[in-house]
Amino acid sequence: MSAHVKSGFKEWIFTTDHKRIGILYLVGSITAFCLSGIMAVLIRLELWSLGPTITDDPTTYNVWLYMHGAVMILGFQIPALTGWFANYLAPLQIGAKDVAFPRLNAFSLWLFWAGVVLALLTFVVPDPPDVMWTGYPPYSVVTSGNTALYSFTVLVMGFSSIAGGINLIATIIFMRAPGMAWGKLNMFIWTVLAAFTIQLIFVPVLGSAVTMVLFDKYLGATFFNPGMGGDVLIYQNLFWFYSHPAVYVILLPGIGMIFEIVATFSRNRIFNFKVAVYGGVGVLVLITGEVWVHHLYTSGLADWLRVFQMVTTLMISVPVGILMISLVGTLRGGAIDYKTPMLYGVGFIFVFLVGGLTGIPLAMASLDLAVHDTHFVVAHFHFVMAVSMTFAIMGGTYYLFPKMSGRMYSETLGRTGFWLFLIGVFVTFGTMFFVGLDGMPRRYYDYQMFPQLENLHKVQTIGTMIIGLAVITILISWIHGLVAGEKAPSNPWGSRSLEWDTTSPPGPGNFGGRSIVVPDDWDPYCYDKPGRTL
Amino acid sequence: MTEHSSEHTHGWETSPWPLPLAAGILFLLPLPFSFHFVYKNSLMAMLSLGLGVPMVIISVAGWTRESLEDKYGWASGYIVGAMPFFIIAEAFIFIAFLAAYWVIKLSAGVWPPPGTPEFPVLIPIIMTIILVSSSITIHIGEGKLEEGDKEGFIKWLGLTILLGTVFLCFTAFEWSHFIHEGFLIGTNAKGTVFYSITGFHASHVFVGLAIFLCILLPAIAGKVSKPFVQAGSIYWHFVDIVWFFVVSQVYFW
Repeated sequence: MSAHVKSGFKEWIFTTDHKRIGILYLVGSITAFCLSGIMAVLIRLELWSLGPTITDDPTTYNVWLYMHGAVMILGFQIPALTGWFANYLAPLQIGAKDVAFPRLNAFSLWLFWAGVVLALLTFVVPDPPDVMWTGYPPYSVVTSGNTALYSFTVLVMGFSSIAGGINLIATIIFMRAPGMAWGKLNMFIWTVLAAFTIQLIFVPVLGSAVTMVLFDKYLGATFFNPGMGGDVLIYQNLFWFYSHPAVYVILLPGIGMIFEIVATFSRNRIFNFKVAVYGGVGVLVLITGEVWVHHLYTSGLADWLRVFQMVTTLMISVPVGILMISLVGTLRGGAIDYKTPMLYGVGFIFVFLVGGLTGIPLAMASLDLAVHDTHFVVAHFHFVMAVSMTFAIMGGTYYLFPKMSGRMYSETLGRTGFWLFLIGVFVTFGTMFFVGLDGMPRRYYDYQMFPQLENLHKVQTIGTMIIGLAVITILISWIHGLVAGEKAPSNPWGSRSLEWDTTSPPGPGNFGGRSIVVPDDWDPYCYDKPGRTL
Repeated sequence: MTEHSSEHTHGWETSPWPLPLAAGILFLLPLPFSFHFVYKNSLMAMLSLGLGVPMVIISVAGWTRESLEDKYGWASGYIVGAMPFFIIAEAFIFIAFLAAYWVIKLSAGVWPPPGTPEFPVLIPIIMTIILVSSSITIHIGEGKLEEGDKEGFIKWLGLTILLGTVFLCFTAFEWSHFIHEGFLIGTNAKGTVFYSITGFHASHVFVGLAIFLCILLPAIAGKVSKPFVQAGSIYWHFVDIVWFFVVSQVYFW
């Protein structure tokens, strides 16, 4: 590699390098995270006391809900996990120079940013969308809000993720370094491959569903108009046919990242690796498309369908349980080092367990009828998806921080941020379970009928403030690390995985002109053998 | 961009085209749609289109040129392997729309619903023949390219584009015919599924034609990339196969 590599503004905005694209995804998704996080704070402030608190307009509250839900999922979690992590890590871990289609990769990135711009237009237009992240008709068709903005945000981001998915699948299939057999791949690669397979199949269905809403609202089509022979259940089914697998699109790379972190900081092999890949990741992909009806238990579908999908939903605990056993088994007997990423790794196990166990009662149709659309459900999916995957994103970003920036973050700030986050999460969403069991419905901006819940709501709002403080601490720790951190060595964590086998940050071409050839006795978790450079 | 890549082989790779293409798509679809249908401001919609159309065309052209130079030296060969994944994604768009159609149709008391005009029989058969023969012509063209006969390849590719264009004209003719009869997307459920499914298919034909144009124009100038041709023709065969589902479901069932 030449001593001086030209790297100006142009090398950033026109970049086709997977690492820089990954970092630009990170910037975009953290922007989206902060934005929709502010929405969450506004929502919680509104629920601070009985009656209107900071707004007396329910539509404004709906717009906040829309922004919070849609942007957190489409603008933060999916791009952070499948854009930032997968782009940055996957080519490095398989020993490739770049992705298979570098220009297409840049196109996916800028399309994602176009989606962020569309989401930001919510603050500009006179009639912001107020359709939550689900966009259910008939409301999304009859509302005076701008549903087109919602549909196009979904379509643009969806197309971006399909293009990104094809790119990374092709990269993993075709561009593995010589000797990098399928059996030598990192857990993260397997989870990314699974997540993108799911993306490819299900995102187009969501795209079709929101396009139908667009046609219905603006072109006068009658897909969801019962008076004209349409059926709103078509939307609910198509939407959840995508949106339940979307949870695994988020979950899989997240848990893959946690596997990397836990293995590295425990200096240990992944426990039951093959079982986790086949029985965990593989089975999850197989049954992900057969469970969506558990979102529609109260929509009046036939009993046999509800019972069938109740069984498949409960079956999901098997592969997820296998993954959890592998995670905990990896800890066992390891030389555990509680650096910040590892704190997030262990925190993930706890938070995910709470979310997963509260999902079992929700999977049962008869129980779900009682708590459907209450804060119990909100608390469940915040634990199982929102918070645990945010833990994965934060932990993974700390884990990769030395590699991507070439500098170390402050361990004190990192740990402080983690503990604040964990406490805030349990105060907010732990309390939310009880509020939900007491009957507090979702999406209400006022709860006059439950005056006895006011104090519990106040507790949750305080918890949200703690989370806000945690996020500010995390951001400060990153900025501090970027500006004042000490120089990072190429492998600060002593990992055996290939991404640490190059400079921090890696230059163009990833391995400084070296051609990686993987020897037979190497695998990414070979902590029982002396470390070496490939 | 050629001088750039040859001078700094170890510099950061760049390409100026993806960014304007993504921005162009924003100006091409979401913004004009919103201006026209949501805010009833056709002037802004036209301005946005005026910005978006050239942006997209110029970036696609630049991107195509850059691809044929094969700056990376490895990418173009993977496109044939990646195309099936794209087709899986595309197929699910049609599956979703057809599923919606089936639900609507099977739950309807009377089908077709009142207000539906007589559907022609001959035109869809002609359209099917045209599309199938275009699939055959591109296959022959590929064979010519394999033999090294570039002239022949260009001729057969040109014929394919012609057939595709005729097919689109038939769709347009069908649509205008129905619209004149007062059969619109909002007339009834049949109108909704007819216009959205055939519209989606026509948009795929249009994209296929755009891909072929991106192959034909450089080919006339003497630059052909076999993997691109193969990928484009796989896509075209897919569009052809989807048509069988569209025509059998929407016209003949």
